Amino acid sequence: MLQEAQAVASGISGADIALAAKYIAAGLCMGIGAIGPAIGEGMAAAHALDGMARQPEMQGALMRTMVLGQAITESTGIYSLLIAIVLLFVV
Amino acid sequence: MGTIFEQLSGTLTHLGEKQIVTFHLGSLQLQFDKAAMIMSWIVMALLIALALFLRRALLQDVEDKPNRVQAALDALIDLLQSQLTANFSSERLGNELFPFISTLFLFVLFSNWLGVIPGLSSPTQDLNVTMGLALMVFATSQFLAMKAKGMKTYWKGYLEPMPFMLPLNIIGELSRPMSHAFRLFGNVLAGTILTTVVMAKFAPIIVPSILNVVFGLFFGAIQAFVFAILAVAYINVAVEN
Repeated sequence: MLQEAQAVASGISGADIALAAKYIAAGLCMGIGAIGPAIGEGMAAAHALDGMARQPEMQGALMRTMVLGQAITESTGIYSLLIAIVLLFVV
Repeated sequence: MGTIFEQLSGTLTHLGEKQIVTFHLGSLQLQFDKAAMIMSWIVMALLIALALFLRRALLQDVEDKPNRVQAALDALIDLLQSQLTANFSSERLGNELFPFISTLFLFVLFSNWLGVIPGLSSPTQDLNVTMGLALMVFATSQFLAMKAKGMKTYWKGYLEPMPFMLPLNIIGELSRPMSHAFRLFGNVLAGTILTTVVMAKFAPIIVPSILNVVFGLFFGAIQAFVFAILAVAYINVAVEN
């Protein structure tokens, strides 16, 4: 049993561990990084929808402001995406 | 186990690969990415050709009844004006910058849509292109802020509210073009990567075309709009405060 484990472990090189760490890091980066923008954009959409239901004549302005706000909220998600891409294909 | 990932990154390496062309201009050495440069030229040629083609329809007497092309163009200009430059705080600034903002919008829109055509790629999936556009907006906003506020007030603005806030103000100012460029680049690149992966590995026939429509056409249009409206917002903030 112990010998088997040792045989498996001796087949794993440092490069393998670095590769695994890279993929785990990229997955964590994207998974955790997407939580914030998702909540933020959902809140923006919800409140814009509230406003539209109350005042349908304001729809155009609300839509525009909502898209702008969501674009700014999204930037943290984009940063984590870029870091995930760098981890996967550059590092 | 590792082979799936290796295959995937093998499919994707051409996305990161750059074919660098070097020009020698006297002692100056200029390096360009071939794909981004050629695709940008294609977009510019498309826009110029479209403009020249549409211009023929407008060469008529003012007295004449407007023809169909003119009516459509009027509607387009009205739409751009009401959606983009109407957000400027002053109407004069909106009229002054309308050509700049709408050109930005049209360039980014056509760039994003170019990636849908097989064999061509979006120039906006290269960070250099988006960074160039963002720096253009940045320079415009700083120049207009200096002009609107005067040199003294402009430089004093960096010391507000307290002098020790200077580094923070500078970083805040410089982070705008960064996030402006990264947003467009990240969105376009993510769409391209997703479409490439799906096409190469999962469903080569119908699904990629649906993805192309969603990511290329729909998100491309939204991102172009967001890019232009953020340019409006950044210039507005710089001029106002």
